[in-house]
Amino acid sequence: MTFEPKIVGFLCNWCSYTGADLAGTSRIHYAPNLRIIRVMCSARIDPTFVIKALAEGADGVLIAGCHPGDCHYSEGNYKTMRRYPLLKKLLRDYGIEEERVRLEWVSASEGHLFADLVNEMTEQVRALGPSPVKSGLALDMAER
Amino acid sequence: MDETKQEHRIGVYVCQCGTNIAKMVDCDGVAGEIADMPGVAISRSYKYMCSNPGQEMIIADIKEHDLDRVVVAACSPHMHELTFRKAVSQADLNPYYLEIANIREQCAWVHEDRGQATAKAKDLTVAAVDRVVYQEALEKMSVDMCPNCLVIGGGIAGMTAALDLADAGGRVYLVERTDHLGGQIAHIALTAPYLDSAREIVEERVTRVMRHPKIDIFFESQLTALDGYVGNFQAAIARKGDGAAQTVDVGSVVVATGYKTFDAARIPHYGYGKLPNVITSLELERMLRAGRVETKEGKPPQYVTLIHCVGSRNLEYHSYCSRVCCMAALKYAHEIKSSVPGAYINDVYIDIHAFGKGHEDLYRRTSEANTLFLMYEKNDLPVIRKADPGDDCDMLIEVNESLSGESIEIPADLVVLMVGMEARDDCRELARLVNISVDKDGWFIESHPKLDPVATTTEGIYIAGACQAPKDIPDSVAQARAAAARIMGRIAHGTIEIDAMYSEIDPDKCSGCRICNALCPYVAIEFDPATHKSHVISALCKACGACVAACPSSAIKARGFTDEQIFAQIEGVLG
Repeated sequence: MTFEPKIVGFLCNWCSYTGADLAGTSRIHYAPNLRIIRVMCSARIDPTFVIKALAEGADGVLIAGCHPGDCHYSEGNYKTMRRYPLLKKLLRDYGIEEERVRLEWVSASEGHLFADLVNEMTEQVRALGPSPVKSGLALDMAER
Repeated sequence: MDETKQEHRIGVYVCQCGTNIAKMVDCDGVAGEIADMPGVAISRSYKYMCSNPGQEMIIADIKEHDLDRVVVAACSPHMHELTFRKAVSQADLNPYYLEIANIREQCAWVHEDRGQATAKAKDLTVAAVDRVVYQEALEKMSVDMCPNCLVIGGGIAGMTAALDLADAGGRVYLVERTDHLGGQIAHIALTAPYLDSAREIVEERVTRVMRHPKIDIFFESQLTALDGYVGNFQAAIARKGDGAAQTVDVGSVVVATGYKTFDAARIPHYGYGKLPNVITSLELERMLRAGRVETKEGKPPQYVTLIHCVGSRNLEYHSYCSRVCCMAALKYAHEIKSSVPGAYINDVYIDIHAFGKGHEDLYRRTSEANTLFLMYEKNDLPVIRKADPGDDCDMLIEVNESLSGESIEIPADLVVLMVGMEARDDCRELARLVNISVDKDGWFIESHPKLDPVATTTEGIYIAGACQAPKDIPDSVAQARAAAARIMGRIAHGTIEIDAMYSEIDPDKCSGCRICNALCPYVAIEFDPATHKSHVISALCKACGACVAACPSSAIKARGFTDEQIFAQIEGVLG
């Protein structure tokens, strides 16, 4: 059986979640591997959400927010942008490939871009194979 | 966690949305599997959950089965979260004990494999059930509603909204970028389809607005900042070139900034700017208002050609229809004929869109008045060239006429390009200022395309007229009056309820580090030096949650989006 990656997406309510809705209303088909969790702003995404998702068996995590300058809360996405490299560094230290966690900007009008992004990321994570967290290759963060 | 759930009585409702969801998701199957989850008291699949019987079903179940949590797996929460919250509260259950699983936009409409779509729909619904047990009863806040309004734009939509609001007794601050009122209508002669004077329509409005004791007009001015929240905004208005802004208190904002005309020079194909007798519809309006239709050489044109869809319905420029140009072209056929009796009119079109009241009649009258209609294909634009010296016309136009299938050459002394509408250059800047969104073409996005076309995703901000999408005068006026009516409804209440989602700081956990103080974009977090702790001013908080994720002591809770709720959802989607 081919490996079907599971990806958890944390999407901001105003831009990215609405962009995903637009992909739906526009009937743009994309890979069924993403499970979306809505947050009001990408700045709400506590790094522990990402770690929790990986610990629970996600093969990839997508963080999506409004484009820089377009944040519904003026500058929340800039905070996300600053936190993200720290999170990436942490994950690297734990032996988790960088490509498994991505930060992307999707506006409310970018249904196509969103669908393309999901397809592309699904293939990327599929190529990486199952998350090392699951096979215990990386340190078991769930127990820490 | 299952133990937590066992204490609950959860009702789960999987909506089929007619066939919208049921076609791709086995709704009965999902409802059946969920029924076995701990804590789930009842799990049903139904044709239309948002319908009255659907909502009644939830209400009856809550009472009969003593439900304490509700999950609706249906369309996006952006569509019907409020609908279902209302239903839940009608059964005397706190409306925040509801969670929506988005299985239409995120599932049925985007996947092609029924098995995979059903599996995903189940995951999303399971996650909603997992989450809902952690949801808390929240109370909305009531704040005073300021009866003053800000209207941005002094065109027909802005003036109409301003008049309705001011007539109802509120103070209106009308901000206009130019030094006059009237907007685009001030540039046109007659209106379609009844050929009555635009001037008469607009002058009555302008005069009333100018004289209205309740309307303050700010000419040559712009909004420079908008702070606060619904019912209690502070708007800074600055005159052009003048640094100092005046601040006014308003409860609501109507954005009615209109459109700009498509620049015909962007389509080099038609030779606009090179061929002197190729003009735009706007330039023809100028001639009509002056009462003289003539060529650059000062002669009355014998042959006039109107070319439709210039910049519209074209993937290279704007894919949308500008909605008003078809009727404007038909109107021109009549106006030109009365200005230049005996002139031959050729109308070169893709499709004639005559959807409005009285439009089809105008189309029929124009067809009967010896106007020659030639149809062209979207991707096969007519070709204009200078006529030869011996010809009795200035230009020749080659049209691949799609009804006859023949290539037809028509003479022209004057070519009128029916230029479409496009979003104003500053649309994104303004959207940012008032915190609303624009679509891919730059038009402001309404709260709901069908059910809420004048509100936006930001409470208290309304849109009216062509800034939302191309629109004719009646539609712009209707939207303006709808926006005004919505605002008046809220003013009549005196107070407004604002969403119960905001952040809270647990004083027992707060270490007083003040990291959150600087992070808050709304200055909603105050530090009390006496207690050495921070607290949130809930009316100012807009619930972004930036402070929650940043607090090193985990002292801040995002009501409605707590860590526990999101963790439960993560576990749920990963099954």
